Amino acid sequence: MSRPVRTLAIIALAFAGLAAPLVWSHPFVLHIAVQALIWALFAASWDLLSGYTGQVSFGHAGFFSIGAYTAAISTKLLGFSSWLGMTAALLLCGLVGLCVGFPALRLRGHYLALVTLGFGEIVQLVAQNWGALTGGPFGMHDYGTFTGLPSDPLAQRQAAYLIVAAISLVGLAILLYVTRRTTAGPAFRAIREDQVLAASLGIDTTFFKLLAFTLSAGFAGLAGALYAYYIQLVSPTIGSSAQSALVIGMAVFGGIGTIWGPFLGAILLFSITESLRFIGVVYNLIVVGAVMIVFVIFIPRGLAGIRLRRRGRQQRADRQAVDAAS
Amino acid sequence: MGEEILEFLILGLVLGGIYALFAVGLTLIFGVLDIINVAHGEFFAIGGYAIYIAMVVFKLPPAAGLVMATVAAFLVGLAVYPLLLAPLKKRLGRRAPGPLFLVLTLGLSALMQNSMLAAAGGEYLKVPPAIKGGLDLSFTYISNQRLLIVAVASLSLAALFLFLRFHRQGMAIRAVAQNPAAAQSVGIPLGRIFTLTVGLGCALAGLAGGLIAPLFSVYPAVGFTLTIKAFAITILGGMGNLVGALVASLIIATVEAMSVLVIPSEWQNAIAFGTMILVLLVRPSGLFGKKQP
Repeated sequence: MSRPVRTLAIIALAFAGLAAPLVWSHPFVLHIAVQALIWALFAASWDLLSGYTGQVSFGHAGFFSIGAYTAAISTKLLGFSSWLGMTAALLLCGLVGLCVGFPALRLRGHYLALVTLGFGEIVQLVAQNWGALTGGPFGMHDYGTFTGLPSDPLAQRQAAYLIVAAISLVGLAILLYVTRRTTAGPAFRAIREDQVLAASLGIDTTFFKLLAFTLSAGFAGLAGALYAYYIQLVSPTIGSSAQSALVIGMAVFGGIGTIWGPFLGAILLFSITESLRFIGVVYNLIVVGAVMIVFVIFIPRGLAGIRLRRRGRQQRADRQAVDAAS
Repeated sequence: MGEEILEFLILGLVLGGIYALFAVGLTLIFGVLDIINVAHGEFFAIGGYAIYIAMVVFKLPPAAGLVMATVAAFLVGLAVYPLLLAPLKKRLGRRAPGPLFLVLTLGLSALMQNSMLAAAGGEYLKVPPAIKGGLDLSFTYISNQRLLIVAVASLSLAALFLFLRFHRQGMAIRAVAQNPAAAQSVGIPLGRIFTLTVGLGCALAGLAGGLIAPLFSVYPAVGFTLTIKAFAITILGGMGNLVGALVASLIIATVEAMSVLVIPSEWQNAIAFGTMILVLLVRPSGLFGKKQP
């Protein structure tokens, strides 16, 4: 298939996939679809920092949680609309990401993962213990959903789905644009492959690492805000390490380092594990654990890599054909 | 005030014994394989469940329960290297692993924790103390279980250090930790040493889980907070430094126990995480570590 035809096919497929929950508007289907899209944005934001730039974060749920609480608090205590709340979550989390990024500049590999893990735990502790602001262990509720939704339950769900889909797709598009169409993309990849070499080539590694932290944390926070307005309940457990593990599992499943891989991987894995709830509540996380193990060992490039491998095979076949002809 | 401080000091010592067993195992694995075992806390939980099965279900004596806890964690730990770590190592070849081993053990952690949840349910299981009674000092009362923890932890850590120092296999482990290629060239089978090391480290976690089970309850996620605390301890003591891990365990446990005098107890857990972040930022090689390149 030629390039424009393929692009069109992908766009058509994406639209069909997005429209499916609107056509088949069973409440359960919509419920899963909305949450899957929130997780998809979260996974893509994790991938920008950890997969694409190689700065592995084990505490990304901390940013998600801060975003969710920011949305809930700003709407409940300050009376912000959900649009303002989401903007606040995006900006505040970007700022927090910048602040976490600064000290983390000195750390690499294992150490960075451990510090971010500690960061996530501290966020959870604060959420649990700062009762006056966060509602303590029981969390916050009664702050309302997205602003301006229709009152009819089905239409309300559909509208919420459209809002979440639009925002997470715009988020994905921004992340893809930054990594594919600006100079930041190659810089991120250079830092991932060899930080010292990147610096010696004149790439400002400090700036680009901080940029990755800020963007990644901001979009994780935005995903948290979407979660807060859709579920209408935030509690400390959304910032737990188990959530961070889940998002990493989704990214590994989709294929780390591609941005769109984790986005699709999260949608797929979330839908699969939620459907598994019919079998039993606890089994879905067993599946996530097993997926992480199997994919890391055997399919390290995730579902996205399967496409790449086919392309490689095709290139080899072409080369052989050329050799045979000459 | 003085007596209060002494009381919390004793509490810290007991907790320190548990932390030390756990963190020394974690840092041993890191020192030899250069892998952080995120699933270490799940072996702690296995120890807890094993002693529960031994003492409550089969009504065995406590000593047998402790042995079962250690052996169960050891056996499961033995399977980790050949089944999970070796295939990834083999596939990676000479390429840098990056975060892959962390993700792998994180997956193992999720798998084990939720398998235990599926098998045993989420209830908090109570285990009777291994020995009853206690020591009545004039100002405080120390149950014999706590004394047992300190005694068993010191004895097994001493045994581990002796093993590493004088036993052939122990020396082989230290050799691999220093230089795997050189160790291999003098005929040490790397795969077997890696397998044994992971098994040993996990066995220590299982023993710790069995020892503390009567004080905490047993539930699937019992080890996870401890894992994160153990990261803090290993970093404070210098990654891969066994003696450092031992000292750091005692420091963190004592500070945590004493902190109750100064800050509300809900914030107790923040001490370990805060220490970890602070140490990494100020002195990433830890208190006793060598300067890092």
